Amino acid sequence: MSLEGKLALVTGSGRGIGRAIALKLASQGVDIVVNFFRRREAAEKTAKDIEAMGVKTELIRANVGDPAKIDEMFDTIANKFGHLDILINNAASGVGRSVLDVDVKAWEWTMNANARASLLCAQRASKLMEGRGGKIVNISSLGSYFVLPTYAVVGVSKAALEALTRYLAIELAPKGICVNAVAASAVETEALKFYIKEGLIQDTRQATPAGRMVIPEDVAKVVAFLCSEEAFMIRGQTIIVDGGTSIALPVILRGGQQ
Amino acid sequence: MSVEEQIKEIIARIVHVDKSALTREGTFKDLKADSLDVVQAMVAVEETFDIEIPDEEAQKFQNFGDFVDYVERRVAEKEKV
Repeated sequence: MSLEGKLALVTGSGRGIGRAIALKLASQGVDIVVNFFRRREAAEKTAKDIEAMGVKTELIRANVGDPAKIDEMFDTIANKFGHLDILINNAASGVGRSVLDVDVKAWEWTMNANARASLLCAQRASKLMEGRGGKIVNISSLGSYFVLPTYAVVGVSKAALEALTRYLAIELAPKGICVNAVAASAVETEALKFYIKEGLIQDTRQATPAGRMVIPEDVAKVVAFLCSEEAFMIRGQTIIVDGGTSIALPVILRGGQQ
Repeated sequence: MSVEEQIKEIIARIVHVDKSALTREGTFKDLKADSLDVVQAMVAVEETFDIEIPDEEAQKFQNFGDFVDYVERRVAEKEKV
């Protein structure tokens, strides 16, 4: 499934899952636009690692929560490359609060970064994909369906993102653009430590039927597949990458003990 | 208005405190600001002065004085170019 010569924008690809996706696509010959917001050093390292694979890379700083910055980012891509083949809406932000503590500011910040940004990026990207048969993959999380502690507004934003994935998939299908999402359970990244305590990370590790926690590369492999022609008939789906966690009852995992 | 005054105005607006509550020795923690307040204040300062404050740098600030000094330095560097 060669993607040689394609151009991808991976939002939030300085670190974590985004970085793994960027490197995976680069390993298949894809030129990568690395977007970052707060961590320049990490993003520069990702760009350097991508270049070492022999493909082109462009580093763009933009807060995707800000529509004007999204426009600037796409203007840069349009001027520099004139086209785009793959968009990965990976950048995410969020405020870890229980539902009763979510205020307007936390709601808007999170929804804008995780849901609105993906809509606006898809709108701009679809124009650059015209006549090329593009791929869009949105990165969601199990919190879109399952209730996780202090994850309320992030979970809601991811549910919106998954619904958006379905609408985009149908409405962009006539343009030859395939749209899907990948939802992972807790992935071992730096950001994870921000959301959940080490004890819970340990519990998740033990409770995963596949025997280990999901790592960024697990997500990246599925994203790369969805970007290939092999996945042409998969549309508007959210593929779960969780080592079986979401379909195994905890009581069974503990050997039937309460 | 000085860089310091402008930064004070931005922080006061975002964290909803009176400008007089902000001193060079003060911190976001003193103001009971949450992580979102801090990021939003950083972004607003960046846009006001057209500079970039990477998290790697921001983490080194001990108090508002360090923050102001950093921004003043970056603004001065920019004017030189």
